[in-house]
Amino acid sequence: MRGKLLQQDLVAGLAVVAAAAFAWWLARKLPGGAGGGMGPGTLPKGLAVLLGLLGALLAASSFLEREGLRLRRWSLRGPLFILGALVVFGLAVRPLGLSVAGPLAIVVAAFASDEVRWGETLVFGVLMTAFCIGLFKFGLGLPIPLAPWLLGY
Amino acid sequence: MEFLANLSLGFATALSPMNVFLAFVGCFVGTMVGVLPGVGPIATIAMLMPLTLKVDPTGALIMLAGIYYGAQYGGSTTAILLNIPGEVTAVVTALDGHEMAKKGQAGAALGIAALGSFFAGTVATLIIAAIGAPLTRLALLFGPAEYFGLMVFGLGLAIVLARGSVLKAVIMVVLGLLLSTVGTDLETGQDRLTLGIGELSDGVDFAVLAMGVFGIAEILRNLENPESRSGAIAQIGRLLPTREELRRCFGPILRATGIGSVLGILPGNGAVLGPFASYAVEKKLARDPSRFGKGAIEGVAGPESANNAGAQTSFIPLLTLGIPPNAVMALMVGAMTIHGLIPGPQVMTKHPTLFWGMIASMWIGNLFLLIINLPLIGLWVRLLKVPYRLMFTTILVFCAIGIYSINNNPYDVYFTAFFGLAGYVFIKLGLEPAPMLLGFVLGRLMEEKLRQALALSEGSFMTFVERPVAAGLLVLAGAVMLIAVLPAVSRSREKAFQE
Repeated sequence: MRGKLLQQDLVAGLAVVAAAAFAWWLARKLPGGAGGGMGPGTLPKGLAVLLGLLGALLAASSFLEREGLRLRRWSLRGPLFILGALVVFGLAVRPLGLSVAGPLAIVVAAFASDEVRWGETLVFGVLMTAFCIGLFKFGLGLPIPLAPWLLGY
Repeated sequence: MEFLANLSLGFATALSPMNVFLAFVGCFVGTMVGVLPGVGPIATIAMLMPLTLKVDPTGALIMLAGIYYGAQYGGSTTAILLNIPGEVTAVVTALDGHEMAKKGQAGAALGIAALGSFFAGTVATLIIAAIGAPLTRLALLFGPAEYFGLMVFGLGLAIVLARGSVLKAVIMVVLGLLLSTVGTDLETGQDRLTLGIGELSDGVDFAVLAMGVFGIAEILRNLENPESRSGAIAQIGRLLPTREELRRCFGPILRATGIGSVLGILPGNGAVLGPFASYAVEKKLARDPSRFGKGAIEGVAGPESANNAGAQTSFIPLLTLGIPPNAVMALMVGAMTIHGLIPGPQVMTKHPTLFWGMIASMWIGNLFLLIINLPLIGLWVRLLKVPYRLMFTTILVFCAIGIYSINNNPYDVYFTAFFGLAGYVFIKLGLEPAPMLLGFVLGRLMEEKLRQALALSEGSFMTFVERPVAAGLLVLAGAVMLIAVLPAVSRSREKAFQE
């Protein structure tokens, strides 16, 4: 039984059911259509119910397979630092500008790999950011802030 | 004669110095990023989209199309040289292409891939030009009910053609449809499923979703499975195929162009299936099938031509009907929307220079691919030696800057991180994200058309039965879905995908 629980399709099906339930809960107060017409809630609720049923079907089907695919190991390091780098970039880009957000994101992201090297990452982060500033800010004229605390833009 | 007049209008637009330059830049950077292992066409386009933000709409689309072909072609280069297919379609190329490279014939494999692609691209451009106008005229006759039927049919086909389990593909399509309902309701202006986040009231941005589930999730997957990239890069050798090789490849290229063009128009995995189908056909037709897998040049020429033909004809449903057949074309919809264009039949009637200019630029783009790829192979090879730890940080920063720049909104970067996590979970759970993207982009259109149709019929669903074209399309959609789950078909389908 323990083996069954780690089966990919079973976990996937249950995850889909959970997502569907969450969507239905979010849509619960939206009015459906009156009579034959459609309201704002008709489609979200309908789709959530359909998704839930399909998820349940997937979960149930996993019991019919004799040997389904097992879940593979999940890593924490990659997602943590890669997603962290994006969040750091988002937080820093408005107040501190690309000149700070760029190297910061690169340094955080570099930790996602176990080959991380401090010196190389710092130098590379600064050079890459300089290149991006040249390309996106001056070359393409995108209105991304550079260093508001220093330059005012 | 209308055909020639249209094409000449197109070439006049596409040959303006600015547009030629943009097509060149698009092909160049597209190839550059496409060569990087683990960066497929979808991630490439999403990542490079900001490069086109400040260009006029025609130029932007020409450049994006160039990026797309470049990324496709770049994938084959790594497949041949290193046995690392940059994307799904290059998997087949790797079979015989890498074997050729081991024998010191990498140059010939790259050369025939480029020549075959160029030929296929030329034919596909002519096909688009020929059927573009009639299809558009047909599409203009469609009402909301017919459109709705057509999209349901498209989703049905996409599910049948998806890789892996049908049930999972259906789940992903429905999930995409559900995601598309996030945001303000079209008619009442009520917020739906937004969690009270104001930034979500315009709905989920398409580029954000695509970048998350493809770009970011790909980085996460690559970090987990470090590719053994120690493999020495083979000698490239002469690039131009011999006359004997050309003679042997002529038939396969011709057949593959046909196969690829037809499959490319189909929604879903159509363009992806082309190379697989072509390889299977050539292996069947070959006098000595045992050569395949051991460096048969036909096994490179066919799939590569089919790949390029399909990549181009997949523009047909987008440009004429406004319905994107796959995730890449869905990204094109995103790009068009950023530039204030609504994809659909009115693009051709209202912006003929854009429509025909883009079609003509496809041929120019193919020419550039030939010019860029053959002499610059050495440069791409050097790019492959960059360690992944530098590559993924660069990709990440480009993604972050790009996503931020689309709306100048940091929230988009957070949403991308969220969808990146979702994409990682999908990989772990064996769920393919491409059908979700298609469901997402068609979802909004479908809801709009459905509600328009119901408004016209005063709320009666009978409109979908009474209008013969709409009813026919819905019946067809049901039929393909039913066929897909029939045991006999699903077994042979499984077999087809294994090959």
